[in-house]
Amino acid sequence: MNIAVFGMGCPKCKATEQNVREACKALGIDAEVTHVADPREFARAGVRMTPAVVVDGTVLFSGKVPTVEELKEALQKLRS
Amino acid sequence: MRDVVVAGLLALRDYVATHVLTCLVPAFLLAGGIVSFVNREVILEYLGEKRSKLSSFSLASIASFFVAACSCTVIPVASGLYFGGASIGVAFIILWVAPATNILALTYTGSLLGASMALARVVAAIIMAFLVGSTMSLVFQKEHTAPAPSGESQPKGAILEKRSALLLFLVLLSLLLPNYLIRSGPYLHKVILWAVLTVLFAVYAKLTLPPKAIREWLRETLWFVRLIFPLLLLGVFVVGVIGKLLPKTWIRAWLGGNSIRSSFLATLIGAISYFATLTEAPFVSTLMKLGMGKGPALALLLTGPGLSLPNWLAIARVFGGKKALVYVTTIVLLGTVVGWFFGNFIFAP
Repeated sequence: MNIAVFGMGCPKCKATEQNVREACKALGIDAEVTHVADPREFARAGVRMTPAVVVDGTVLFSGKVPTVEELKEALQKLRS
Repeated sequence: MRDVVVAGLLALRDYVATHVLTCLVPAFLLAGGIVSFVNREVILEYLGEKRSKLSSFSLASIASFFVAACSCTVIPVASGLYFGGASIGVAFIILWVAPATNILALTYTGSLLGASMALARVVAAIIMAFLVGSTMSLVFQKEHTAPAPSGESQPKGAILEKRSALLLFLVLLSLLLPNYLIRSGPYLHKVILWAVLTVLFAVYAKLTLPPKAIREWLRETLWFVRLIFPLLLLGVFVVGVIGKLLPKTWIRAWLGGNSIRSSFLATLIGAISYFATLTEAPFVSTLMKLGMGKGPALALLLTGPGLSLPNWLAIARVFGGKKALVYVTTIVLLGTVVGWFFGNFIFAP
């Protein structure tokens, strides 16, 4: 699983990345978490608002910091 | 040295005592509400569509009010639109208007500096937006190679639900009424009116919205508090120190009156230094007390949050150096002219 956090290094983006890592840890997912900071990539991935969480090319969240709970729920759905 | 620190602390105390409850708390709640209730994705979808210049520019100016509140979030939004196929004019209008005059900055300016200054701020920002948009599309129209968006418009979701719109309106009232209705008398009167209105919208929210939506709203509000409040306090402290250090005669000489020169200097200060959202208002208020003219004050209010050195670099990195250069030059020229014009012909007694 490839999880990308989109954002230009703002505090919200960092919090998002941290929540993603926590959610992965809690679920025992061994995912590669990357941080995409180039806005040209945002448009290509279909991300309009940052911070955004993109899992294997699908935009899961955008424009807000998802909580660990929300992330766990969404990731679980993807896995099943 | 000690005097200076004391001046900074006094400014801080005054500020906290008279602004936190009746200005900042509702302002943050409003901003948080806009982020969590307004469907910004839908607004951006509208902006990406192909339209005539006039209609796309107007739409971009209005939409910017609600899209973002600070320059750090607006760069990804603007670049997303640009690389997604919107015209360069639209992208730069968003880049300019969203920080220069969003609903948060506007209501805050109004309660700190008066309604006429807030009105001038929004009018000037929108005039500048049209000129910036036109300039950018005139200079760079040919370069734009991003794929044009498909002509068909798909059905879109609602931008804002009715009940959350009403809630935002109530929050807006709790921000505006205490500051506009009660202009004199003890501060306690303001607090009482604020408390009544706050209870009103809290009850309304509780009755009409699901708990999840309310939680989300409060979470976004808390983000604004965490991001902006420390910077705001620091800003007020620094402003207090500056007010003590800078002799009045200097401010009068360099920023007083409504000459082209003082307007240009104010624009330059605003365009270079970084102002976190909202800090520009207390800064300008202090400088005005020390003798800054109204025209330069407006110029600084506009360019302060809209532009800064780090912001130039980010724009250059994303859009290219040439576009950043044209944009910054245009804004500095326009800011100077607008400050001069408003100072001499609009604010003039």
